[in-house]
Amino acid sequence: MTGWFFVDNRSGSLADTLERVLDKGVVIVGDIAVCVVDIELLTLRVRLFVASAQTAREMGMDWWTNDPFFTPKAVDRTAEANELAQQNAVLRDRVAELERVVEERR
Amino acid sequence: MSRGLYAYAITRDLPLDLAGPWLVGHRGLALVVAEVDLDRFTGLDLDEPSEDSPLAVLARYHDAVVRSVFRHEPVLPLRFGTVLEGADAAVRLLDARHEEVSAWLDRVRGRQEWGVKVRAAQREAVRLDGLSGTAYLAQRRQRLADADAVRRAAAVLHEKLGERADESVSRDVTRDALLETAYLVDAGTEFPAEADRLAAELGLAVEITGPWPPYSFTKVELADA
Repeated sequence: MTGWFFVDNRSGSLADTLERVLDKGVVIVGDIAVCVVDIELLTLRVRLFVASAQTAREMGMDWWTNDPFFTPKAVDRTAEANELAQQNAVLRDRVAELERVVEERR
Repeated sequence: MSRGLYAYAITRDLPLDLAGPWLVGHRGLALVVAEVDLDRFTGLDLDEPSEDSPLAVLARYHDAVVRSVFRHEPVLPLRFGTVLEGADAAVRLLDARHEEVSAWLDRVRGRQEWGVKVRAAQREAVRLDGLSGTAYLAQRRQRLADADAVRRAAAVLHEKLGERADESVSRDVTRDALLETAYLVDAGTEFPAEADRLAAELGLAVEITGPWPPYSFTKVELADA
């Protein structure tokens, strides 16, 4: 297998810390607690943040930002290219099949 | 400027020097609190999740206080942004939830949390120049088989780590992460080294974080009544 990288990040990145501090732990409810933070909004945001590629970018794994294959503008063309490649592959296979049949009939 | 009593964690009522925050104790249990300026907590957002954003600074500090308790005593971290009406409210909570809190503290005593993440492989661009249809399909099949093998290896890793942990909490597998799990383990064990070794055996790249206070294992709601 190729393309692997190793990150040993035992101190905990900002995303790891935010996720735990904002989304985990004991919640105190009822009259004794005062609401000062819109924690639901922050929790939602932190989930999105953690799920997004920003986590990786923050750790320095931003290899794709300079890769034309992954830049937003290139996305459509990439999808198009993939589709064409697949069509191409299917057509090539059909041509090969037809050539074989023609060859057999000779 | 309005002030409030911010609560960081629940622990045993034993002397702790926390350089700022202090304990409000009651019947052997204590809330770790500090008086804060509540204005600092309004309008927080995650638009700029950099280390020096206000939210990051406050979250890091919250974590630092929890950790400083965690180094000496069992700790139940409280959710970020917990502000109490006052010391009386802290005592009321500790009184009403004495049994429950004691049981939770016993559960996490001498244990720590480790995070283990296995990311999915980066997808490389397919080079189509001079690639025949058959070769393309073969390459595609190979990629799918590789991805499947990695997924299975991640499942094996989780199973083996689970045997070495008291509890585990997993996040759903996503397109990017094949394994994202927090394990609660005895503080004396060589869990991270074991995780490294197992992952290497399975040919997986892992990210290991910890030791954390038991954030992921204290998801509970407490009320004073």
